[in-house]
Amino acid sequence: MIKDNDIISPFQITAITIMTLVGVGIFSLPRSLADVAGTNSIIMILIGGIISLLAMSVIVTLNCRFPRKALPDYSGEIMGKIPAKILIFIYIIYFTVFIGYETRVMGEAVKLFLLSNTPLEVTMLSIILACTYAVRGGVECIGRAMEVFFPFLFIPMILIMLPGITDADFSNLLPVFYGLPSKFFKALPTMALSFSGYELLLFYVGFMKKPKKAYTYAAVGIIIVTIFYVIITVLCFSMFSVKVVKGMIWPLLSYVRSVNLPGLFIERLDGVMLGIWVFAVYTTMVSLYFALTYSLSRLLGTKEQKQYALIMVPFIYLASVIPQNFAQVDKMPVYLIEYTGSILLYVVPPLLLFIAWIRKKGGTNK
Amino acid sequence: MGFFKKEKKGTEQQGIEQQNIEIKGDKEKIHCKLSLYENINIVKEILKDCGDVIYKDFAIGKNQNLKFTIIYIDGMSDNEILLNGILRPLMLHSREIPPEVPKSGDKLYDLVRYGTIIASEMDETTDINKAILSILIGDTVLFIDGIDKIIIIGTKGWPTRSVEEPSTETVIRGPRDGFVETIRMNTALVRRRIRDPRLKLKQMQIGRRSQTDIGIFYIEDIVKQELLDEVIRRMETIDIDAVLDSGYIEQLIEDNPYSPFPQIIATERPDEVAGELYEGRVVVLVDNSPFALIIPTTLNSLYQSPEDYYDRWIIATILRFIRIFSSFLALILPSLYVVFTSFHTGVLPTKLVLSIAASREGVPFPAVIEAFIMEFTLELLREAGLRLPAAIGNTISIVGGLIIGEAAVRAGIVSPIKVIIVALTAIASFANPSYNVSVGFRLLRFALIAASGMLGLYGLMLGLILIIVHLIKLKSFDIPYFSPLAAFIPSEFKDTLYRAPLFNMIKRPLSTAVNEIRMKNNRNAIKDKEGEKDND
Repeated sequence: MIKDNDIISPFQITAITIMTLVGVGIFSLPRSLADVAGTNSIIMILIGGIISLLAMSVIVTLNCRFPRKALPDYSGEIMGKIPAKILIFIYIIYFTVFIGYETRVMGEAVKLFLLSNTPLEVTMLSIILACTYAVRGGVECIGRAMEVFFPFLFIPMILIMLPGITDADFSNLLPVFYGLPSKFFKALPTMALSFSGYELLLFYVGFMKKPKKAYTYAAVGIIIVTIFYVIITVLCFSMFSVKVVKGMIWPLLSYVRSVNLPGLFIERLDGVMLGIWVFAVYTTMVSLYFALTYSLSRLLGTKEQKQYALIMVPFIYLASVIPQNFAQVDKMPVYLIEYTGSILLYVVPPLLLFIAWIRKKGGTNK
Repeated sequence: MGFFKKEKKGTEQQGIEQQNIEIKGDKEKIHCKLSLYENINIVKEILKDCGDVIYKDFAIGKNQNLKFTIIYIDGMSDNEILLNGILRPLMLHSREIPPEVPKSGDKLYDLVRYGTIIASEMDETTDINKAILSILIGDTVLFIDGIDKIIIIGTKGWPTRSVEEPSTETVIRGPRDGFVETIRMNTALVRRRIRDPRLKLKQMQIGRRSQTDIGIFYIEDIVKQELLDEVIRRMETIDIDAVLDSGYIEQLIEDNPYSPFPQIIATERPDEVAGELYEGRVVVLVDNSPFALIIPTTLNSLYQSPEDYYDRWIIATILRFIRIFSSFLALILPSLYVVFTSFHTGVLPTKLVLSIAASREGVPFPAVIEAFIMEFTLELLREAGLRLPAAIGNTISIVGGLIIGEAAVRAGIVSPIKVIIVALTAIASFANPSYNVSVGFRLLRFALIAASGMLGLYGLMLGLILIIVHLIKLKSFDIPYFSPLAAFIPSEFKDTLYRAPLFNMIKRPLSTAVNEIRMKNNRNAIKDKEGEKDND
């Protein structure tokens, strides 16, 4: 009767996709887009969404060849034991630094807006430890957590953001298409950053009963995230205009702060927004964290992933304190995602699929 | 075992008897002797110094040569059956039988067993230990000289509480009967609501010394077999001296003993039990306990009151919203007070902040300490009021609520707004149909106050996240505690945050039940009839 803790439902795949993609980046997304793409940002988001859908389908196709197996399980089959171990190790480092980055941004935001006197170490360590609690619950627990946190994050967030529409000036969004080709390639890496996270499907689809369903359900997730990004960007741009957004650190937060509703019980919504944002960061961290411990358990050849959750805390903490100041924190994703992440996201899965196809590994009928 | 005869119906009979043999396998059998004297001596040896055991010897027959002994416990047996059902026919009516009839032992035995004693429950055994167990549960045992069989006559009858309205889960609309301490009455209350031969009752006894009767109710073609097997497997692992209440069973078979949340509901209401049985759950009844256990339990089911299904769906939905909201309020209201008064005052409107600040003027403690003091006082009052007799309980509430609240504010120890918060928290925490789950949330409230006292809104959010993750991690008999919200099951969503109209809840919950369809949507049929009328 007590089943293995290893099945996630299609709904959960959607939730995992959304909650992983929506992370620390949402506050700064309009600014980084404004920097590289200007008024073409919305088109760039849509293009980013389409690219993500393509990359996602490659990942799911790869996983469909190896049903009920995650990346660390089948990479050995595809490319031999030792190269696979090296690949897993790279993923482990990538995930550790990624979680560290999320933690740091979170800590900086909390320090800036909520707790100015509390040391950064306390806020960062407390959220890492809170993550270990969920990670120790295994993949089913994470799947369920994502489902529950999804409404907790999105319903209040949309309720907070909607009232601002009255103050928005949509002419700020124009001109569209102006100088698009020149900015296209400059903006692509930024798009990769804001959509990074669905490489985790390499892991999570392996826990589905019917991995083929992941095509639709993960796609729905990515589409929802794309729409959400478009909404955020449209709101920020139309409220402040692109030029002003460029100068803001966290435009979305500034937007929420400027939303003012007479007669509302809560006067300043940015505090509430930050509180809800903790959910977004937490879920991203947890889903990365699980992929991390799962890879570790496969690298070291153990059956369980639980025990690595606490062991990794100091490493994640170390990764989070690498940047000296906030300027460096802001640069971190450039090294982390534009260089490493893009390779792991856009190069490795097609390559693996290609090798698997050449070597005829895995189920060919899928 | 005459005790179980009442329930023997059709195919069920076999199962029950096998069950009994398995459970009592550890007691060795003492074979009955031919001599009455020897048998009685064995019984007397085992039941030595038991002052309430009555041995009644009597002799019948023309020459007074047929010796009988009945053994029973005073106070646990029904005197009416004892006198009119056993003694009277044996001692008086037997004289009408010609003396030459019962010559051989077997004939005599058959005559007594099938022809003379007037009782609805009868059984025979050759095992003295089994006979003693029957005596201990209130049956009467008849030994006959020269026959190595014992007749067990069901005479259980002891003073019981009558069926009353349950004190914990009161409803405005709905049946008023509640479980009592006798398992037989409880099973009858359930069976009255399910007149279906597929309603099964598995009996077992748990407790080496207490030999407490346990009944496991389920509906055969609705329950999931693996759930039932798992419940029985867990029950059979229990090896304990005594089971005094269903709480023992609950604690010994639940999945996560270290969680503050109940993973098995206990209910006093037979209608709720019947409802849960129809949804494929397994119900455990324990003798001497008016609380039935419902397995498995989800957080969602803790927010359902039986009344939800008796009221119209709009009202039920609103009530359910209020309940969920009140739980949430009871959990976070004190922490929100701490967060907004000592950390993020900017979030609140300026006028409100000013009035809070004015009311807190002169209060010597930070908001966290203030919150702790008042919340602790509330728990103190609640506990004191609960344990005391009702007459003094009222005094406590007056002393606590009025005097302490008023005086504490006057003395400047706490702010009046904090008193309002405490009162709101208390009311909110009582607005939950399940006492157990509200206790869980009330305890966690203190943890949240501490977290928000240290880390403000961030701490409150982390605390909430940890509580949610904890709830998500929990499982009750392999059903996720947060089900059907997570793992999300769309078809079961109709009975969670809202309660769909009855005619829309066509299917049974998939996670617990096998047989899916439970009703036909009759809306269209009703409309058709109306249409016909219009045509006429």
